[in-house]
Amino acid sequence: MTVARTVLSRLAPLLACLGLLAIWQIGALILNTESFPTALKALRAIPSILGDKEALINIAASLRRMAVGFALALAVSIPLGLMMGRSRAVASFFNPLLMIIYPVPKAALMPIIMLWLGVGDIAKTLVIFLGVSLPVIYHSFQGARAVEEKMLWSGAAMGLSARQRMIRIVLPAALPEILTGCRTGLVLALITMITSEMIARQSGAGNILFNALDMGQYDTVFAMIIIVGAMGIGLDAAFENLRGRLVRWSEPRFDLPLSFS
Amino acid sequence: MKLLPLRPDIQAESAPRRGLATAMIEIDRVSQIFQTSGRQQHLALSEISLTVEDGAFVSILGPSGCGKSTLLYIVGGFVSPTQGVATMKGKPITGPGPDRGPVFQEFALFPWKSVLGNVMYGPRQQGVKPAEAEAQSRALIEMVGLKGFEDFYPKELSGGMKQRVALARTLAYHPAVLLMDEPFGALDAHTRTRLQNDLLNIWERDRKTVLFVTHSVEEAVFLSDKVVVMTRSPGRIKEVVDIDLPRPRRRAELLLDSRYQKYVVDIEGMIDDTSEDELRP
Repeated sequence: MTVARTVLSRLAPLLACLGLLAIWQIGALILNTESFPTALKALRAIPSILGDKEALINIAASLRRMAVGFALALAVSIPLGLMMGRSRAVASFFNPLLMIIYPVPKAALMPIIMLWLGVGDIAKTLVIFLGVSLPVIYHSFQGARAVEEKMLWSGAAMGLSARQRMIRIVLPAALPEILTGCRTGLVLALITMITSEMIARQSGAGNILFNALDMGQYDTVFAMIIIVGAMGIGLDAAFENLRGRLVRWSEPRFDLPLSFS
Repeated sequence: MKLLPLRPDIQAESAPRRGLATAMIEIDRVSQIFQTSGRQQHLALSEISLTVEDGAFVSILGPSGCGKSTLLYIVGGFVSPTQGVATMKGKPITGPGPDRGPVFQEFALFPWKSVLGNVMYGPRQQGVKPAEAEAQSRALIEMVGLKGFEDFYPKELSGGMKQRVALARTLAYHPAVLLMDEPFGALDAHTRTRLQNDLLNIWERDRKTVLFVTHSVEEAVFLSDKVVVMTRSPGRIKEVVDIDLPRPRRRAELLLDSRYQKYVVDIEGMIDDTSEDELRP
């Protein structure tokens, strides 16, 4: 009984995907329009995209930009957010700036950035950087602000300098919150990656998608959506795995703490 | 080491059981003013003077909000006094240091470190070699009764166990003074009693200087050589009571001892007086 239940819970995501594809298939058969191919047609288009060298180069270029933008964003945003969380002066300086940038869709900045930096890698990487930065700054800020004063005092009593306390106490203590921000940032990196390529049509996964749309190759369009979605699921799952390992200490090994005085 | 200026409030209370008591900590006319949110000034501590002798177990007792924790934080170097000066072995305290080890009510353990990692943190920071730090830390963990829990994370431990880890973590870097800020305040009565007994047993081995903040009269009398009774608003020292009870102290014997009972009743009376003071217009 319990074995059956675990097997079922493992299979649940797969069943959900199959269910979705089935609904799609039926819906497309009923509607029967050219702009909405059946699930089977879209799935059949995937191998031809992944088998095409040109397409693979494009997708690889997208992922490279995404990785660079994401990494740069973390390198800047985590220290900035932590400093904002521990220093009122730093926070009150950067807060208004960030509040202005926060609600602006980063893709809306793309035309200006293209004007300055061209349509190449730099412009697109910058947009990804901007998209990822804000949630990471925000969560790092919250995480650093929540660090118990007395934990820092304990460190100070052991002889840790202000800088050491920042790196060896604030950073690990805020890590669960920082990683929550990074997870949001990762998904945003994927979204801004595609939108930037939609605006600056030169290369990348987004470029394949929108070129296919222009040419009316709807099965390729839907196949690309599936590929991008699968990349999202894959990246998120890999990140969750890493996160779980890094902050295992914040999740209890037992359901209840041990009772022992 | 400089000689103590004799203060009238302390003079009468010099520890009788020590021939040559030297001052470990001296608090000299310390006042602390906090700015409240309404731009008002709140006098938390007013002209506090106190000497803690080397090897003495001194409790600071008072109602909540009397500034007793603030006084401890000033000695710890975590808070600078608005006026006055606190010195340790004759040197003014300007910041935290490993010669004064805090133990907080909130435990303040490093949650990303195991029990062993927490206890080893101080010695490693002090440059003790990993193998040596680990051996010392394992011995301390055993001493506080947590053998077998070395690899557990703080989140997996009960409150009493966490406070045992916090005590071991502080003892690990050999502070000359232990600063305990209501360390058992968050624990249930049974756990609290057990930890008091264990703390006394540990303390009786090396007789470190302890400054212990509490609002429990029984706890203060049971543990201390000297109880400093504070009043609230502004925080002032009302009385310093020497607890002349034999050591090692056993709880079961002490509870039946009329001298212990008298100390408790007398000190409770002092605290009752302070709350009546407040009610006066």
